[in-house]
Amino acid sequence: MTALQTSRFPEAEVRDRARRGAAAVFPDVAGYGRTLYGSEPAERSDDVLDAMRLVPPVFMPQRLEKLVELAREPLYPDVDLRTTVGGFAAPLPVYLSAFGSTQVASADLGVAASRQAGALGIPMVIGENVVSAGGYRSSGGAQRSLLDRVAAYAEALPAGLGGLAVQQSTEDADCEVWNLVYSDPAAQPLLDTGRLAFELKTGQGAKPGLGGMTVLDGSAAARVEDLYAIDPVFGPGAGRVLRSSSPGTFTDEILRQQIRFMRNNFPRARVWVKLHPGRDVREAATVAWEAGADAVTVDGAEGGTGWAPTSFLHQVGLPLGECLRRIGHHSGCLLVSGRIWEGARAAKCLALGARAVGLGRAGLLAVDEDPDAGLLRMVDCLALELRLLISALGKYAPGALDAEDVWSAATVRPEGALRVG
Amino acid sequence: MTECTGAGVPAGFPASPREHLSSPVTRTVLRVQHRILDAAREYLRGEGFTELLPPLLGPVTDPGGRGSKPIDVDYYGHRYKLMTSAILYKQASLLAFDRIFYVAPNVRMEPPETATTGRHLVEFHQIDVELAGAGRDDATRIAEGLVRHAVRRVVDELPGELEELGRDVGAFTELLTAPFGHRTHADAVAELHGMGHAQSPDAEIDWRAEVKLSGKASRPFFVEDYPKGSRGFYDREDPDRPGTLQNFDLVAPEGYGELCSGSERESAYDRIVTRMRETGENPAKYGWYLQLARDGIPASAGFGLGLERFTRYVAGLDAVWQANAYPKLPGVKSP
Repeated sequence: MTALQTSRFPEAEVRDRARRGAAAVFPDVAGYGRTLYGSEPAERSDDVLDAMRLVPPVFMPQRLEKLVELAREPLYPDVDLRTTVGGFAAPLPVYLSAFGSTQVASADLGVAASRQAGALGIPMVIGENVVSAGGYRSSGGAQRSLLDRVAAYAEALPAGLGGLAVQQSTEDADCEVWNLVYSDPAAQPLLDTGRLAFELKTGQGAKPGLGGMTVLDGSAAARVEDLYAIDPVFGPGAGRVLRSSSPGTFTDEILRQQIRFMRNNFPRARVWVKLHPGRDVREAATVAWEAGADAVTVDGAEGGTGWAPTSFLHQVGLPLGECLRRIGHHSGCLLVSGRIWEGARAAKCLALGARAVGLGRAGLLAVDEDPDAGLLRMVDCLALELRLLISALGKYAPGALDAEDVWSAATVRPEGALRVG
Repeated sequence: MTECTGAGVPAGFPASPREHLSSPVTRTVLRVQHRILDAAREYLRGEGFTELLPPLLGPVTDPGGRGSKPIDVDYYGHRYKLMTSAILYKQASLLAFDRIFYVAPNVRMEPPETATTGRHLVEFHQIDVELAGAGRDDATRIAEGLVRHAVRRVVDELPGELEELGRDVGAFTELLTAPFGHRTHADAVAELHGMGHAQSPDAEIDWRAEVKLSGKASRPFFVEDYPKGSRGFYDREDPDRPGTLQNFDLVAPEGYGELCSGSERESAYDRIVTRMRETGENPAKYGWYLQLARDGIPASAGFGLGLERFTRYVAGLDAVWQANAYPKLPGVKSP
């Protein structure tokens, strides 16, 4: 465990799950038989998803179908969590989000997280600027290069499961990250088994409209000043400067053609597109799916592992729940992230149209708590909760969830039908 | 120990330069290639072209496509590239002459999977042609004339070599006597769908599909009007048909596939920047080229004819590496 900290995130709960695994899904078992449990008055939350409840019905026709199939009453272990995530087979509707090149993720945590994600067989995204910040190949003892993460993930990955999505930002395009990976013998086993994707990044939840930001010391900044904006915002004597990536310029035509160009240039790789929580998220997702994206990832404004201006953290971008409401019904593969760490929030996202949810900060904290098994245990918790919740709704697959399964006082409902060809 | 190692080494690939260079087949093929080059220069000179020597290094190069990667070199502390193609310099060269050509060496790190296509080399050469103030039809006319003239000279002057290589000169009858065919990308896609091949309408014709189309043809043909998103930013988008590029490939018959790619070029600065974004490029790294475009470059059209691929077709070879003295296959460690 390191000194990794979060703000506005249930860090203690995540670390508890990373330590104790499935037992942490329940109240402390030591209190069993002595404590009266029950709902506490709801705390006020300005989070659209937190304000929702999952609402099991009394009548459950899909449970009857399952009963007929099994010839016995179904139980929560009968929920089949397997799904496909952006063209990859996944054991549950969960993937590991990109951590990017920020200091918190660039040490050995990135490799440890990759190893555990591989062992779980869940898809994983490798973030932007890993190559420009940590290099493509390791040059010494430190394991922080892109290939280190690829190798750690691929070595632990079970046959037939998972897949790796490699992001590329505008600056990464200068390093030709996708070309490097696509032509590297180390990536061929993933390509040969259809388990490599490239993710086009248009933005991120923590600072929609801005590019990636990191804080560098003076000598590191000097090395990258050709590529990034370097700003001495912390003062002349601070010894540290702000490094900003370009967010890149997108119009509907630029997004459409970039996706087509990716499909043309990397025909053996899946194409993912990451959107920031923009007010036109529905239009952008539609353009991406229609241009052939295998997945659209939306990072809600509450997401993000990295450095961002305070004003952006608190006041910029749509919350994930509103993104889901705006996107509404669709037939594409929608992946979402934004303060996901436990099953109920994940199930609400799935009910509102997501195919899978991404673990960002939670994944990083779990690995930080235990580099060998923290993420394994936390995902165990998530799987157990999803099975409990989905079966309680009278359903037995994540794809069966829909908007009728959630309720809020604000009666949030998806918008009208959206057809994607 | 062999000197050429790698997972994708195809059968017959020489184990050493000695084996390759002393092979009678290699010598014959290189004599054919020499004659092709001589004929190309003769033809282009006759059409008013000036031969320039191309640059090898630059801060940027053609970003390429289909997963190939430029090779970076350290240039006094700056990251420079070996030329994947000299397209940007071809446009710049028109500031000196209206009609130019290079015999240009190109280097592309192709994906290892292409080692066995018979059509990909890491190092190869192009006869690179550019014409100021020209349209696509001007470029295809020059490409057709060049190919026909070179084949005519090889057939007339090197019958013994072709016989040695087992190449039936009857295969060139239509090429030498009839105009090359023209079809649109959309028609090619429809034909492929009719053959049961799942070709994306938004992408380049894939290699297997190209071999199928090529195998059905008895003379070379042009495929025109590729969709935007399948080609680089320099292929001009038709202003009257947004999404369609005024470009072409020249495909050889008998299954030999693509010999040449070309297009009218984008020459307006704002169009170039926009198209760069559409192909995922960071305009910042194209500084010198964009300054040139901002100050004005001539409208033009041109093409690059792959020398080894052309030689392979003329000589009737199994693989393109046979037409290169020092072949480097993708993913294969070679001297």
